[in-house]
Amino acid sequence: MKTYLRVVLLLCLALCGNTAQATESSGETSVLDDSFYEDTPEHETVPDPFEHFNRIMFEVNDVTYTWVMEPVASVYSRTLPEDVRQVADNFCYNLQEPVRFINALLQLRFSDAGTVLTRFAVNTIGGVGGLGDVAGTEFGFKRVEAGLGETLEYWGVGDGFYLVMPVLGATTLREFAGTTVDGLSMTPYYFFADSWREGAAIYMGRRVNNLSLRLGEYEGLKQLTIDPYAALRDGYFQSRAQSRKHSAPRTDDKL
Amino acid sequence: MKTVLHSLLILAVLSFAGTGRAAAPNPTEQIKPFVSKVVDQLKDPSFKKDTVDNRIDKIVTLVSERFDFEEMSKRVVGKPWQRLTPAQRQEFATLFAKLLGHVYIDKVDTYVAMKIEFGKEQLKGDRAEVKTMFVDATKSIPVSYVMILKGDKWMAYDVFVEGISLVRNYMEQFKGIQQDKLISTLEIKLQELKAESERKGATP
Repeated sequence: MKTYLRVVLLLCLALCGNTAQATESSGETSVLDDSFYEDTPEHETVPDPFEHFNRIMFEVNDVTYTWVMEPVASVYSRTLPEDVRQVADNFCYNLQEPVRFINALLQLRFSDAGTVLTRFAVNTIGGVGGLGDVAGTEFGFKRVEAGLGETLEYWGVGDGFYLVMPVLGATTLREFAGTTVDGLSMTPYYFFADSWREGAAIYMGRRVNNLSLRLGEYEGLKQLTIDPYAALRDGYFQSRAQSRKHSAPRTDDKL
Repeated sequence: MKTVLHSLLILAVLSFAGTGRAAAPNPTEQIKPFVSKVVDQLKDPSFKKDTVDNRIDKIVTLVSERFDFEEMSKRVVGKPWQRLTPAQRQEFATLFAKLLGHVYIDKVDTYVAMKIEFGKEQLKGDRAEVKTMFVDATKSIPVSYVMILKGDKWMAYDVFVEGISLVRNYMEQFKGIQQDKLISTLEIKLQELKAESERKGATP
């Protein structure tokens, strides 16, 4: 009887092992199926009725990037060392953590909400007001993304349609609304900005700082594309889908 | 007793299934030396001094050891691939390989400066995904190779950079191009890239 039980137990363990593997496979290895290349891509389910306008806006952004943003960011990157720019990036990122916390809660991602709250507390106290990312580098609490666009998606609000906005770039109607509200919720932090001009200057400053840490990436992408507009649209949707795989991130850093 | 024997039989089958899988070549072990060879080639000072055409030829020859450009092109082109002649397919795959060769020669300094860490692999029949991380002092970029087993060789047919599939991205770009313009579009793009590389003073 004991042997019988042991065999049954072993069998159960073997089957459980297989079940776990199968679940992992279905969740993570879909890229190994040919159907991955046949499925309707997300951007085809999100209409692009204003493609003509979007393509013009894409060109405008391209020119703005090439002749304004990139040169400014290049000078900025030569003026300030990378460490200092990273500190500025950490500071701005930390300011937004309460917004992420609320959105993670609204998406019922309680574990992620806890991580965001921990990061905010640790980095604000231990990272001198968020200048350093102590929570990430010392305690392994990686950045967690959660925005209103995703919250709206969680509660069943559709994308609307694809949009290319000045400076902001690729987005959808829902995501643009989410980004705008998330951005406006930051205004109490900008107590020193008395007018919308100063607020806009702060926003542009953040964009330039962020860009200075990723210089050359856009040129690299554009240079190797056959249709930069289609490449960016597909890249936006693939990247968004990837960033929203919270439970089973494909590009996890647990190598 | 019959049930016990039945259970043992199932266990034995499961064990043999495991042994069968283990006998297949390991994708990570196959791609590791390949990546080292590419990095060594990019680090070679004489490589940097070579002409654009020579550098592209060298890198494409090297990368072809582990990349199946025909498998890649088949997915990039999609349904029209079936209507291309074998010669057209070969030509498209060759030109597409050269296009990707520019990724290496134009970003040589970036890649050489980064450390490559190998991570988990996933196997499913004759397909595998090998995850790597390109790391430098300030950032980590996840790069995955999706591979197919051909004979005893694992050949990559897609690369995911930060979760974005290279093949799928090119698929979207080629969708709007007519079948008879697929090859000429690539030829024009390669001419532009060559001119751009030369303009940057990459050639001696």
